Amino acid sequence: MSDENPSPAGPPANSPRSGRDSAPPEPLSLQQPFDRDSLYALRAAVSAHAAAAGLSSQRVYDVVAVAHELAANAVVHGPGHGQLRLWANDGLLYCQVRDSGAASRSAAEKKTVWPSQPGHGLWVVGQVADKVSVDRGDSGTIVTACFATGGRAGRPLHSRSRNTPDRARNANRVPRGPSPASPC
Amino acid sequence: MAADASTQVTELTADDHACLTFGETEELFDLTAAFVRDGLAAGLKVMWLSDAGPGIAVKELTRRGVAVEPALSAGQLAADGCEERFLSGWSFSADAAVGWLSGQLAASRQQGFPGLRIAVDMSWALRPVSGVEELPRFEEGIAAALSGTTASVLCQYDRERFDPVTLASVGGFHTRSVAAATYYADAKLRICRQYAPPGIRIAGEIDFQSAEPLAQALAEEVRLDGDETVNMASLAFIDARCTMMIAEAVRTMAAAGRKVTLRCPPEVAPGFARLGVADVPGLRLVSADE
Repeated sequence: MSDENPSPAGPPANSPRSGRDSAPPEPLSLQQPFDRDSLYALRAAVSAHAAAAGLSSQRVYDVVAVAHELAANAVVHGPGHGQLRLWANDGLLYCQVRDSGAASRSAAEKKTVWPSQPGHGLWVVGQVADKVSVDRGDSGTIVTACFATGGRAGRPLHSRSRNTPDRARNANRVPRGPSPASPC
Repeated sequence: MAADASTQVTELTADDHACLTFGETEELFDLTAAFVRDGLAAGLKVMWLSDAGPGIAVKELTRRGVAVEPALSAGQLAADGCEERFLSGWSFSADAAVGWLSGQLAASRQQGFPGLRIAVDMSWALRPVSGVEELPRFEEGIAAALSGTTASVLCQYDRERFDPVTLASVGGFHTRSVAAATYYADAKLRICRQYAPPGIRIAGEIDFQSAEPLAQALAEEVRLDGDETVNMASLAFIDARCTMMIAEAVRTMAAAGRKVTLRCPPEVAPGFARLGVADVPGLRLVSADE
């Protein structure tokens, strides 16, 4: 994925995946290719699966928003298509988007009279997800966002505002900076 | 007078016989509220005969800023079901209905009102009512009864439920065709103007691919004066791009001294709060249920 503010971040030390091409540790609940014309269907599928994972309606919406922004980034700033995977493991719901990395000129967003703020979608991802990791390599980009489901992991990760250490703090996550242009 | 293409509900005048088509209940209530509000403001007698029933009608008008209770108490406003007025059980007679309308016009004059406005939800005609084939004759009769009077009638047809043949058969008897000004509409998204309270309404799911019509709608609202409502009560999804666009537009409106209300479902609200919208003076972020 080639967002407009590329980050130098390499493979995260605390990635939820053991290796770049390894399969998720538990059976996938969703694996769906997407392009510009299938974002609506992608959101519907993610919503159904996130709800089945036991998340609240707010967190289901948040997972859908994150999935959309990651996919939209691949559509607008990347090759124009990609693959989304969603799975649950150890009290967390993982939402992963991968693309081949090469930006496609034809996929670029049509300019409108209203100015856009590059990187804003990925800033939202960093704000909403409990943990985000970015893995950029020669064969493309993999972004993985995770959300506490309140299952085996115990206390939800998004309660971190209480200033207590939790798994989210140890994660290689997107900075929660005030700038909408914060890169993912 | 032939029906013209796209009159705004706020442009209707005395002796208009307008045909309003709507696609969803929210749109019906919005356009009706504007019709009722403007009629009351002009001192006219106003009646709304609806399938919704008096209780819901009063609630929906109140929610949209119409001062319902004082108008009801003063006899200026009446909200009833169609059955009590011009249907007789399960049967309909065009002559009887037009006669009822003429009687109402005379009664409103006797009560001292300078004119009469009646909105009629025509959904009753979708039920197995005998005499429903007289519908075109009813519309023709209304057109004749209203000519040269100070009464206007707004017939409300659900364009999803009435077949095109019926709509076409009654269309010619109306002086105007009324619908919400629409910036964009497909199966997934609708962006249209809202009339009561004034603003825009966005329903369905919206993302960056619909940024162009959203920009057009917002740009028009920015250029207007007065209080503004962005009604997203039926919005199931909005992406970061469109959230940012709306936030920028309403900040501009609030900076110009306009009171702005963003109405959205609880799941959508944090996206606006994250951009600091809730802290802007003059700007209210309210739940869809309020």
